[in-house]
Amino acid sequence: MSPDSPASPSTSKDNLRNLNVSQCVAEAIGLEMENDDRVVVIGEDVGHMGGVFGATRNLQRRFGPRRVVDTPISEMGFTGMAVGMAMAGWRPLVEVMFVDFVGVCLEQIYNAIAKNHYMSGGRVRMPIVVKTAGGCIGSAAQHSQCLWATFAHLPGMLVVAPSNPYDAKGLMVAALRSDDPVVFVEHKALMLRRAGDFSIGGQVPSEAYEVPIGRAAVVRPGSDLTLATLSATVLSALDAADSLAGEGIDVEVVDLRSVVPLDFETVAASVQKTNRLLVVDEDYLSFGLTAELAVRVIETLGPTAVDRVARHAVPDVPIPAAITLEHAVVPSADSIAEAARGALR
Amino acid sequence: MADLAGAAAGPISLLAGFVLMARMRQFEAVCLEGVPTREIHGELHVGVGQEAIAAGMAGALQRRDAVVSTHRCHLHGIAKGVPLYPMLAEVFERESGLCRGRGGHMHLFDAENNFSTTGIVGSSVAVALGYAYAFAIEPSNEHGQSSAVAVGVTGDGGANIGAFHESMNMAGAWRLPLVVLVENNQYAISVPIEAVSATETIAERASAYGAWGRRVDGTDFEAMAVAFAEAVDHARSHRGPALLEATCHRFRGHFEGDADHYRTKAQKEAMQAHDPLLLARSRLIERGEATTEELDRIEADATREMQTLLERVRADPLPQPSEASRFVFVEEMGP
Repeated sequence: MSPDSPASPSTSKDNLRNLNVSQCVAEAIGLEMENDDRVVVIGEDVGHMGGVFGATRNLQRRFGPRRVVDTPISEMGFTGMAVGMAMAGWRPLVEVMFVDFVGVCLEQIYNAIAKNHYMSGGRVRMPIVVKTAGGCIGSAAQHSQCLWATFAHLPGMLVVAPSNPYDAKGLMVAALRSDDPVVFVEHKALMLRRAGDFSIGGQVPSEAYEVPIGRAAVVRPGSDLTLATLSATVLSALDAADSLAGEGIDVEVVDLRSVVPLDFETVAASVQKTNRLLVVDEDYLSFGLTAELAVRVIETLGPTAVDRVARHAVPDVPIPAAITLEHAVVPSADSIAEAARGALR
Repeated sequence: MADLAGAAAGPISLLAGFVLMARMRQFEAVCLEGVPTREIHGELHVGVGQEAIAAGMAGALQRRDAVVSTHRCHLHGIAKGVPLYPMLAEVFERESGLCRGRGGHMHLFDAENNFSTTGIVGSSVAVALGYAYAFAIEPSNEHGQSSAVAVGVTGDGGANIGAFHESMNMAGAWRLPLVVLVENNQYAISVPIEAVSATETIAERASAYGAWGRRVDGTDFEAMAVAFAEAVDHARSHRGPALLEATCHRFRGHFEGDADHYRTKAQKEAMQAHDPLLLARSRLIERGEATTEELDRIEADATREMQTLLERVRADPLPQPSEASRFVFVEEMGP
């Protein structure tokens, strides 16, 4: 049980600062760079350009090229650089532009960033944020993955993936203040969407605030089925829930917000009410978030407490290029609604 | 008995270098005692035969400098002034170890002395790059003071991974105070460097990165100390990175238990002529700077020192099994 789960972020449109998600992220980083001189930003195109999605916009102009470093295309080198800087007392945010590129530098991420605190017996901290863009925007197999389960499988990293502007800013502030390493997976399809287009989390305060890492949010209450997901898929899930409501199906949508820690207590509390769980994931199906969450909920409630468990995720194929094929494998509002109907049959 | 071997002591004499090398060899000797007893129950990589390189580093390093070492790391730790007792305790998997027995012999962290290691070949250079960048952006550097330097140690094998190129390039582009020290023992486990390197030397690659580059006989303590001091001085005085290749011989297998069939008996016998301790010994006697008896006594003292250390470490407890999940996160999470 997690009675203190934050309520769903405000949906009011009054006095809306109509920022896009990347501006919210940039605002969070800028505020934390003001608060703490040790925060530095390292990565490709993060400085002069301000990031390929604008999520580090204006930071180099404000804080100078020493603290906002445009690197060569050398992910192995600059993720290792973040390790050394952290050991020297800095708090690096290192950007791996697309999560698909992590293959060239996973070494430093999972062997050093994730393990140095443990391997040093708690004597060395790795306050590093690995900021990276995931998710599908029609760019096929090498530019459309999510991979949060890959990080989650490797011990030592917190893994977050926000679904809305409010959470994007608050989770980034929390990530930059964390003394543990955080992998921050922002969804490419959300980065340029404006706050006013979001049904949740559109109200973004201008000051710094934290969304605590590891707390899921019930973003739509319901009684027939618990639908747990995260990142951009939360929005598709809400659309699916709206159309299912027209069919008399009342879906509760839980935004997990992080994969590590995984707030299965909030999901279990919801399933206690609905008795049915559907986990939807834009990451690959097997050995991933869907099975992990389902098992945690069953372990929490007991095998007889759940009437139905269903999973809907990318069915273990690379993301295809052709739009017809992409739609066949990436969860959408329609496919989620169909999966929900299946779970209730 | 001082734990600090030589860090921050300034240039050290050949005799002092001999003392340091004798202690290094005996440190490795007591580590080797833990293998047949299974007190060290995984891999062990010792630097027997490579002592002159680490000893040659000691005189040029200051406490604020960083050293990021490799899987074959003990001697660099000694050179950096890492206290020997917790280091040996870590090698012997004890709770009293530098890392409470969580790291083991090739994952050593001593934050106070800016010393760390990585078991992944070549990754040390990228981590050292981070220290170098951190030192370069310290506010004190804006006033032109000499910089702290970061030393990334790797081997001839590590010089061929991508991160080596990436890190050297960034250090050159940004003129960072990075010294990359390549211990060229000629074998990446079994693969000889001449079979896999496009260049005859590693040092000549320096020119591609706008770096100072030199190759030195890493079995000769004096030559090594002079070359390393030059490399450090280059980096410390804001002239950009330095790449020092120190040639040497790995007297034992890559790890304890390595059958080492890839080197012939003749090769292994021939390398004994390049024992840095024998070289230093004969030079000291030749110059009248020490007698055979004095040098024997130094070696006997080192043996006694490390045996005493080993006894102390063996009395310490191993970590509690119930504590296996501690330290994954700073903010401890439930199971």
